[in-house]
Amino acid sequence: MSMNLDMISLNSEFSEGTGLRTEEMLLNVGPQHPSTHGVFRLVVKIDGETIKESLPVIGYLHRGTEKLAEGLNYTQIIPYTDRMDYLSAMTNNYVICHAVETMMGIQIPERADFLRVIVMEMNRIASHLVWWGTYLLDIGAMSPFLFAFRDREMILELFNELCGARLTYNYMRIGGVKWDAPPGWIEKVKEFVKHLKKEIENYHALVTGNEIFINRLQGIGKFDAKTAIDYSLSGVMLRSTGVKWDLRKDEPYSVYNRFEFDVPTATEGDCLARYQLRMAEIEQSLRILEQALGQFPEEGEIMGKVPKVIRPPQGETFVRIESPRGEIGCYIASNGKDKPWRMKFRRPSFNNLQILPKLLKGENISNMVAILGSIDIVLGEVDA
Amino acid sequence: MTDLLQQSTSLWNVSMFIVAAVVLLLVVLFFVTYAIYFERKVIGWMQLRTGPNRVGPLGLLQTVVDVTKLLLKEDTRPKDADKALYALAPVLAYAPAFAVLAVMPFSETIQFADLGIGVLYYMALSSITVLGVITAGWASNNKYSLIGGMRSAAQMISYEVPLVMSVLGVILMTGSMNLREIVEAQRDIWNVIPQILGFCVFIVAAQAELNRTPFDLPEAESELVAGYHVEYSGFRFAMFMLAEYVYMFGMGSLVTILFLGGWLAPFGLDFLPIPGIVWFILKFLLYVFFQFWIRATMPRFRADQLLPFAWKGLLPIALVNILITAVVISFQNGTL
Amino acid sequence: MLGFAKGLGYTFKQLTAKKVTHFYPDVPYPMPPRFRGIQHFSPEKCIVCNQCARICPTECIQLTGKPHPDPEKKGKIIDTYDINFEICILCDLCTEVCPTNAIVMTNNFELATYSRDELFKNLNWLDDNNTNVREEN
Repeated sequence: MSMNLDMISLNSEFSEGTGLRTEEMLLNVGPQHPSTHGVFRLVVKIDGETIKESLPVIGYLHRGTEKLAEGLNYTQIIPYTDRMDYLSAMTNNYVICHAVETMMGIQIPERADFLRVIVMEMNRIASHLVWWGTYLLDIGAMSPFLFAFRDREMILELFNELCGARLTYNYMRIGGVKWDAPPGWIEKVKEFVKHLKKEIENYHALVTGNEIFINRLQGIGKFDAKTAIDYSLSGVMLRSTGVKWDLRKDEPYSVYNRFEFDVPTATEGDCLARYQLRMAEIEQSLRILEQALGQFPEEGEIMGKVPKVIRPPQGETFVRIESPRGEIGCYIASNGKDKPWRMKFRRPSFNNLQILPKLLKGENISNMVAILGSIDIVLGEVDA
Repeated sequence: MTDLLQQSTSLWNVSMFIVAAVVLLLVVLFFVTYAIYFERKVIGWMQLRTGPNRVGPLGLLQTVVDVTKLLLKEDTRPKDADKALYALAPVLAYAPAFAVLAVMPFSETIQFADLGIGVLYYMALSSITVLGVITAGWASNNKYSLIGGMRSAAQMISYEVPLVMSVLGVILMTGSMNLREIVEAQRDIWNVIPQILGFCVFIVAAQAELNRTPFDLPEAESELVAGYHVEYSGFRFAMFMLAEYVYMFGMGSLVTILFLGGWLAPFGLDFLPIPGIVWFILKFLLYVFFQFWIRATMPRFRADQLLPFAWKGLLPIALVNILITAVVISFQNGTL
Repeated sequence: MLGFAKGLGYTFKQLTAKKVTHFYPDVPYPMPPRFRGIQHFSPEKCIVCNQCARICPTECIQLTGKPHPDPEKKGKIIDTYDINFEICILCDLCTEVCPTNAIVMTNNFELATYSRDELFKNLNWLDDNNTNVREEN
């Protein structure tokens, strides 16, 4: 994608009938704009309020994670992955650990695997809660944001107790996890699951039934399954078009095959469908959490047998898992040293964002915000 | 107070008018200060927060310092803004907001001008504000404010029609456009009951007129950053802010007068020795609270659904309301 | 029309609900025991193995050692130890690799200063930062 703004040419038309001259103009949305969810810039050509063309400009948060990784050993890369998708750092932690473990054939103790699944699902809920709150903020409702953050705060507090950080966890290690659950932690998570189950009902009462909200989202940002696959979309973006594809189910990793859960799908492919799917996913995550907490092994190791210096064998590997935003993948090319020769992350936010210019064509500015929000991007991940 | 108007002009009654106007201005400013405070408190409570609590006891001085800050701020103006219009816009938006208060009968005795066409006066003057908003949007030379200004023009002009139409029912019932007579006519039953349809339309349209949630599209924070006043700062911004809240004061008064029986006591509580102004304030605060409540709950309308809602939704209902009212009144008068 | 009335009902109920605001600067915010705050460094425990400086992903730790003053004993003792908190990401890796727990995390997290120079903390400062030291490491 070229970042050249000259690509956009502005037309001015003179209508003989009305004697009015209309002119298209460029509107620069972001990088400082309340609804771009970070430093994302969107140049749109508008005619009145109708968007004719749009050009996403990314890279304001680019830190070169992949290049930096080439100079770091594998354990050191983990804190960097925290900062990619900062709303679900646990899945990012997992994907790199999973990649290295796959390469080296390391066995993970069961207890560590359960802890990983529990924190990943909690993080998925936290991430969807942030999405829910900020999306409603984009739509113009203020309160949901604060309700969502109250409940997310509980998750962050639990994470804080578990690993000592609220956002950049650096919790997983190659071969296991850094900390075992502190005494009473599992019970606290159980209580939280109960609490959130109740709160979800309130969320629906507050927002989901609101007629203004439904009318606002129905039918906008629509695309079909073929388009979604062509654009390499994943996660909710893909499932909203009716494709039932969830790596937790279709290519189970960790201990996901031990749990019973549904993969919610919709066929409409519009913003409302994506909203409903994310809400349904929170409920499914709660289901997984309940089962994982129930089956949580009483005791056990939290670190597998890992060599002191981690040197994956020469070769390459690619693993992918289901992050809250879609498929997050990690590709490692190793030359047998303790640092990767090349590391590449498939970031779902980045791939999902590609469809934006197509979706925005012909929409108006209120819909622009709604569509961008429904993609659920995290700029740290888009720019990596 | 109104008998001052009948007297011949003298130094005494002119100065009385000036004093009364200043007092009203101070009352309005006090209202605006604490409306903002209570808005933040109420919305805070609804969102599990405590709201302002840092400045003064219970944060009571929060708005005072906010306004002081705005007044002390540098008056900035974009380089390519239209100087004259940029300066004129806030005045244009604010002046009518204050002027409409002149006809409001706050109680039997407190009223500044007893116009025969009070309702019309309010509607006519309040539509000047939209000029200020468009001017601000255009003069700032900013695309966001331009879009905000255009949205605002479309919205305020469209919603004015159902607003006026919904009041027509009340006027038909009273047979007068004088606000005082409208209140007096509600001695038996408040207009909100026979005019429930008109009341609903009025409340919705008033919300749009006030540019408040769910109709806050002209200043849609998440879309247009701040809409028409995106380039304004300092005391010019304060003027817009003030206009918005003074309109809330005005609209609250109008709703109270037209539909909620003005200063009349509710539920036959006339025997209580409570002055009418207290009842007025209570009803008025109810409306203001309703505003905050809506703001804490509702998402924003979509720009392209806004106008169809006014023309295809509210206007027909308002017209039906007029028709029903007319038929009922004709029936009662025996002309049908 | 029922949908938005439900929402109004919910927000109205919250008016009296328990508020979740923390009065943070007035009331200190307690962090759980594992919290990763500013490091505490005990020079007497350090064996100058350099592992912390090597594992640090942002290379914010700089240290130098000097020969042990007591000629009888082997090894080195620490001479200077600096952490640059402008770039430290409090990732916990330095405390994880330290064989003698010379560097440990504390629960203190207030780092805001008026000058970025002050974020460059030296051995003495880190030694004095000895409150709320983390127990589990």
